[in-house]
Amino acid sequence: MISIENLSKEYGTRQVLKNINLTFEKGNVYGIIGENGAGKTTLFKCIAGIEKYNGIIRSNYKILKNQLGFLQTEPYFFSKITGYEYVQLLCNAREISIKNIEKKNIFELPLNQYAITYSTGMKKKLALTAILLQNNDFFILDEPFNGVDIQSNILITEIIHKLKELDKTIIISSHIFSTLNDTCDEIHLLKNGAFIKHAFKEDFGKLEQEMKDFIIGNKIDKLDLQ
Amino acid sequence: MNFYFSLQFRMHNRRMKDFGLNPIIGYFFSIISYIGLSCLLFYMTKYAPYIYILITIGIISKLNSANRNDFLKVCFSTKKYFQLRMIENMILTFPFVLFLIYKSEYLCALILPILSELIALVNIDNKLNFTIPTPFFKYPFEFTVGFRNTFFVFAFVYFLTFMAIYVGNFNLGFFTILVVFITCMSFYSKPERAYYVWIFSLNPKSFLFRKIMIALLFSTILSLPILLSMSIFFPDKIWILLIFQGIGYIYLTTVILAKYADFPEEINFSQGVLFFLGLVFPPFILVIIPLFYSQSVYSLNKILK
Repeated sequence: MISIENLSKEYGTRQVLKNINLTFEKGNVYGIIGENGAGKTTLFKCIAGIEKYNGIIRSNYKILKNQLGFLQTEPYFFSKITGYEYVQLLCNAREISIKNIEKKNIFELPLNQYAITYSTGMKKKLALTAILLQNNDFFILDEPFNGVDIQSNILITEIIHKLKELDKTIIISSHIFSTLNDTCDEIHLLKNGAFIKHAFKEDFGKLEQEMKDFIIGNKIDKLDLQ
Repeated sequence: MNFYFSLQFRMHNRRMKDFGLNPIIGYFFSIISYIGLSCLLFYMTKYAPYIYILITIGIISKLNSANRNDFLKVCFSTKKYFQLRMIENMILTFPFVLFLIYKSEYLCALILPILSELIALVNIDNKLNFTIPTPFFKYPFEFTVGFRNTFFVFAFVYFLTFMAIYVGNFNLGFFTILVVFITCMSFYSKPERAYYVWIFSLNPKSFLFRKIMIALLFSTILSLPILLSMSIFFPDKIWILLIFQGIGYIYLTTVILAKYADFPEEINFSQGVLFFLGLVFPPFILVIIPLFYSQSVYSLNKILK
């Protein structure tokens, strides 16, 4: 279990996260939604310990980050590192010896090519493959479906189901509601750095409708499209 | 286009400020260092004008990356893009041409601007599909990436070693060991993204120990062909080679510690000065290593805790 208590984060005078309280149980999948700039990525970086914050994050692990697989929105790759070496680097970092990477290359990536030559979707799939091979217990997937082809989207959804089955804890952010609908047990709506709403699986439809009504409103009419 | 150059100037000033240096003092030191190093190079070797051309081309090639130039092409019209690239290269080449003229190397002073303008017309595509093999793939990333970026240096260095043995010039061969270590140090010149440190399930001490061990092992692999061949052909001078190999290890270790001393920021001005003092006054390195080590442990502790 991971619990966040009174987490706040400021950049200078701008408060990005306001008094966040949340608990993540084992074997559950959590969706975090919110507009661009709502604070999702900052929250993930705070949980990962990459960003400093005020507040407390508790977990059953001695050092949470050593059990955490963090898929970033835009994974960064060195200019001349191959896909294979990237996976090797992430596994080395956790003292995991990997054999037969080719067999585990389920996204059929060209692992001997430089990662920087990959498309956006391929980069994301490579980063995801690497954190999956780290045998983590806890995953943060920041927009895992973004830029990924439909076949891989299906595969990623199945991977998330399998991780849940294995009692892993997963937090996902996505701008595509249907992907969260398929995978999450709970969805939390983040707005201006604070959680303003949450819904369990049975209420996802209602949450989506509320969001649509709120977001769209009469904005399309304002365009005065002819 | 004026705005582009004034923006570049401002960005350059900001980089100096981030480094902890007042831009005016920075420009003053840059000019002094440039003149000093140029005089030193011309004093040391008769091949200085050619090395000078190579250094200049190396510097302006940094502006030739495909990503950067693709961005400029999107921003500017084709005509303006080429004008801009040519002016950029001309600005960077100008001080080198001046010094060549001062040294009466008129032919080189003529060739250099022509080469630099030609370089402005081509893009270097860093997204090649061909993967350069390295013996370092089991422990990425510094040596795998660094070796691929500088493999031509090693090809040249091994050729120089062969020439040193062929003409019986020990100093030339010994110089190649220095080049190997300077190149290896350059692999650690910039800090990686915090994510690439964060992923390690090690405490700061183990992390640094691991980084240093890998660097020492891989730098040995790169310098071993030189050491072995020079030892065979200059057996009475093995001890000189071993001493400089040892010095190379010490400086490489210092560079790694310096890199993480203010992580995730780049090495700051005061650390840069300390490192420079260590270079010109080697015993000072005994003070710098423990200092950088404790600073690195402190900086890494924030990420690896």
